Amino acid sequence: MVSRYIVSLTIGSAISLSASIGCGVADSAEVTAATIADAQKTALYRMIKTCGICHGVNGRSISPTFPNLAAQTAPYIESQLRAFKDQSRADPDAQAYMWGMASQLNDAMISDLANYFAALPPPSAGRPGNPAVISQGKRLFEEGMPVRNVPPCADCHGSHAEGTAVLPRLAGQHAPYLFKQMLAIQSTLRVAPAMHGVVKDLDKEQMQAVVAYLESLSNERM
Amino acid sequence: MFLARWNMDHTLLGPIDVSKVCAWTIVMAILCALAPASHAVPSFARQTGMACSTCHTVFPELTPFGREFKLNGYVLDNIKQITGIDIDSRSTLSLNQIPPISLMLQVSYTHTGSALPDSAISGALAKDGDLLFPQQLSFFYAGKIADELGAFIQVTYDGAGDHFGFDNTDVRYAHHLSFGGANGNSHELILGVTLNNNPTVQDVWNTTAAWGYPYASSSVAPTPITSAKMDNGAGGFGQSVGGIGVYTWFDDHIYAEITDYISAIPGGAHPLDSTQSNVIQGNAPYWRVAYEQRWDRNSLEIGAYGLNATVHPGSTNGINTALSGPTNKYKDVAGDVEYQYIGEDHLFTFLGTYIHESQTLDASFLNQFSSNTSNNLNTTKLAAEYYYKRKIGGSVGYFNITGSSDALLYPAAPVTGSANASPNSNGYVLEVDYLPWLNTKLQAQYVGYQKFNGQSGNNPSGYDGSGRTASNNNTLYLLVWLNF
Repeated sequence: MVSRYIVSLTIGSAISLSASIGCGVADSAEVTAATIADAQKTALYRMIKTCGICHGVNGRSISPTFPNLAAQTAPYIESQLRAFKDQSRADPDAQAYMWGMASQLNDAMISDLANYFAALPPPSAGRPGNPAVISQGKRLFEEGMPVRNVPPCADCHGSHAEGTAVLPRLAGQHAPYLFKQMLAIQSTLRVAPAMHGVVKDLDKEQMQAVVAYLESLSNERM
Repeated sequence: MFLARWNMDHTLLGPIDVSKVCAWTIVMAILCALAPASHAVPSFARQTGMACSTCHTVFPELTPFGREFKLNGYVLDNIKQITGIDIDSRSTLSLNQIPPISLMLQVSYTHTGSALPDSAISGALAKDGDLLFPQQLSFFYAGKIADELGAFIQVTYDGAGDHFGFDNTDVRYAHHLSFGGANGNSHELILGVTLNNNPTVQDVWNTTAAWGYPYASSSVAPTPITSAKMDNGAGGFGQSVGGIGVYTWFDDHIYAEITDYISAIPGGAHPLDSTQSNVIQGNAPYWRVAYEQRWDRNSLEIGAYGLNATVHPGSTNGINTALSGPTNKYKDVAGDVEYQYIGEDHLFTFLGTYIHESQTLDASFLNQFSSNTSNNLNTTKLAAEYYYKRKIGGSVGYFNITGSSDALLYPAAPVTGSANASPNSNGYVLEVDYLPWLNTKLQAQYVGYQKFNGQSGNNPSGYDGSGRTASNNNTLYLLVWLNF
């Protein structure tokens, strides 16, 4: 007996792809799963090309306006995509670029994108800078500022700034991007209560030192 | 027309009236004082959900992301779709639920250095200063039509001419290919097709005629007697041709395109006959190559482009000539360069282009429209722009047109002519802009002519043989430019 059903999978996404699967044989479940998987791969391919316009298909962006995504932790990417989608992350570039880009993503796409970029290899070398500034940044990263109750960044972000679960990788990230985020978190333009508590007493010189150190790190995997 | 038409049918203007200039300054100042956060979004912004600043430094100039959006066929969209599929899972329809429609309004005031003569009464002067309300009102459909197919379609009401017209239009198909490499180290290739009505409207750098500097200028001020075909002045091909072309964009570095044009003149006799002007015989190929390098916040493009057109003059100087027999040939070869720095607070752009045009004027010479059987015309345009936080900024530009003298092609005539049969003109552009919101621009522009139609200085008989000097055509241009 032939069972026939059509699944219409409409993806109201940045890619605007719909997939329909019709099956007429007894192993329809396998065919359905494979076809859906292929369709999602096609949708994923098109999404990656779109994200890659700014972030680089290899996850390494050229302009520091756009963060590197290669080797970023998947849970962090997912949390930010959801924050863009529900507009809870509202710093200026989030509004200008990412609210639109994330508006039509569903959970499956968010997960696929996060896993794609998380799996990409990071660049092999960091960006060199002023040794004195980087040294100051390294000290802040590893020791924090006990007098102001600022914990070491390494406690949460990993000893090599590689990130842990939902706490992002910072190693090798564009320094101007990190600096802009720290300012946004400090001013609560970007709502991140835990990080706000960490950065609220940092001055700009200290922020510049930390981000210079982070950009200088050669990327190492978790 | 998105850019000013270089319209020789100018209105009459008088000496600068300071009170009128001050009134407009006050109007602009009031508008400047009202500056809430930006909310309005034109077509592409509606479709993508992204603010103007993602694709533009300051409109209409494109950022690298904006260039990618255009090269990918205008299809990037982030809104709900109406979709269709067939039994083989292929998409048959992907239509924006909300059409990406938008409008543009330009209101302007033009004032030249001295009054122009009345067009009817000898010895009289025309009105001092000219307000165009509007200078231009345009309607756009700009965005996705189907998967991999998009369009930029513009219909414009021109205030000076008091007519609607089909304006810049670029319909394009773009297919993205990826090959070689893994883990994101692949090569990326876009293969595209463009259908458009204006050579260079399809270009993504702001160095060529359709989208070049200055981005908006007066449609009623006097302008030099001639321009290269690629510079799209009077006698150019903008909105009077239809072309289909193919292009490729490789690894975000290399661009190559060939587009072929034939005449498609709106209005008048159809099929085209001797009553139409500048009718292309056969087809006119346009070619374009460019290389772009991006690093940090910088991008640098170097390129070349050109056009070969064999043209029947048709109706010229009130005389109709048949679309057969001898022709005029125009061969344009040009180079261009664009540098951009897009910082958090500071934005800087440099634009440059040089066009060399060779003219073989067998038809014009035969009909006594030209004194020479061949002429040259060279055009240089340079511009440097700076903006602070996309809110306030300015630019300086330089232009230089030099060409062969030709008494019949460039005759003496009041205001528009040349007493010494030379088209040579050069000068500068100074501009200050204020953007209270991303989609609004308040502009003050001054065009200064150091040479106009062959003469500089204060020759008593003027450049036109009737006493008008180059500086008499210096133009103050105030503009309110809204996109919504």
